[in-house]
Amino acid sequence: MANRPEAAGNFLVPNGTFIAELIAFLLILGILYRYVVPVVQKAMRERQEMIRRQVEESEEASRKLAEAQQRYRDALNEARNEAAEIRETARADAQRTVEELRVQAREESARIVARGEEQLRRQRDAIVRQLREEIGTLAVELAEKIIDQRLTEDARVRQTVDSFIAGLEAQDRAGEAARAGS
Amino acid sequence: MSATPQAVTVEVGDHIEWHLFGLTFNVDTILGTLVAGFIVVALGLLLRRSINSRKPSKLQIFFETVVAQVEEQVEGSMGIRTAPFVVPLAVTLFLFILIANWLAIVPTGHHPEYMPPPASDVNLTYALALFVIVLVHITGVRKRGFRSYYHHLLTPHPAMLPINIIEEIARPLTLALRLFGNIFSGVIMVSLIALFPAYILWAPDIIWKLFDMFIGLIQAFIFGLLTILYFASARPVEEGAH
Repeated sequence: MANRPEAAGNFLVPNGTFIAELIAFLLILGILYRYVVPVVQKAMRERQEMIRRQVEESEEASRKLAEAQQRYRDALNEARNEAAEIRETARADAQRTVEELRVQAREESARIVARGEEQLRRQRDAIVRQLREEIGTLAVELAEKIIDQRLTEDARVRQTVDSFIAGLEAQDRAGEAARAGS
Repeated sequence: MSATPQAVTVEVGDHIEWHLFGLTFNVDTILGTLVAGFIVVALGLLLRRSINSRKPSKLQIFFETVVAQVEEQVEGSMGIRTAPFVVPLAVTLFLFILIANWLAIVPTGHHPEYMPPPASDVNLTYALALFVIVLVHITGVRKRGFRSYYHHLLTPHPAMLPINIIEEIARPLTLALRLFGNIFSGVIMVSLIALFPAYILWAPDIIWKLFDMFIGLIQAFIFGLLTILYFASARPVEEGAH
């Protein structure tokens, strides 16, 4: 540098380039300032906002999930309780029905038995009445055959028979009375 | 000057010059500036066309990282709302200086190089630093008023005024010359390495240029960071908050 004649050789002294550099930088700055940096900042804000929203949404979703699970568990418990209740009621109903049926059956059987006895009594009475008529004739025939006696007067015979049967009846009534009494 | 004739030929700080209206223009610096500026602007506009907040491209992620870092720094030192324009300014400074510095790895093989890293010319660094400092002062006056802002020159004691003034002058000067020095030294290194014979030259050249890229990154970062910090010093302060 020593052999350079003038101050133009001193590289620490600015020259006209300074103006050009300043203008060039201002242009670059202007373009980036107006067209680039705001766009980048906007994109960054948007993404941050998006991430924030996604985090919020995921929190909301997990909260809802927990809520739904809670509701599901509650519903399940309720259903279980209800089922137990229904089972209990059904069991009680069944018991009551069985009891009722049993009582009914008992009554029915008692009624059938009573009717049977009644029928038996009526049949017996009928038989007794029939026998009363037949026994007379039979006894007379038997007596005729045994004693070979000709009874001329029917009226007398009838009288004898009637008194005989009356005796039988009396015996029968006395027996019945004794039965009823016991 | 050394006795070795070769050493004399290491000429740095030479520029391809145009003379116009009585002014001197270093065409190589301007070319480098334009190329770097074109790359930054082209990447920015390319990004603007393809921007997508849902599926960011790699380019978008790169820009977003830079912007997010700058925003964080601005927010931490003064609060973005105080001076929102500092964010794009610092982003532009960082990206532009970064790309400009990385031009250093492109060799043109001429002397002087057609396209040196433009920060190896003080004209660029002075322009950037002066622009930043002037804007800092304007912001300070706007936010706090002329009296209040320049009152800090008299603190902690009026006797400190000369020192404070020197500090104010030193700020743009150091801001400019730090960047210039670092990048300029890279150019000198490349010139020195070029003195090696060709069969050995490539190894230190590669190593140096990788390191130079790292320096370029660091310097771009420092320039952006200091810009933010200078703006932070101009913010409307609650007294005693320092």
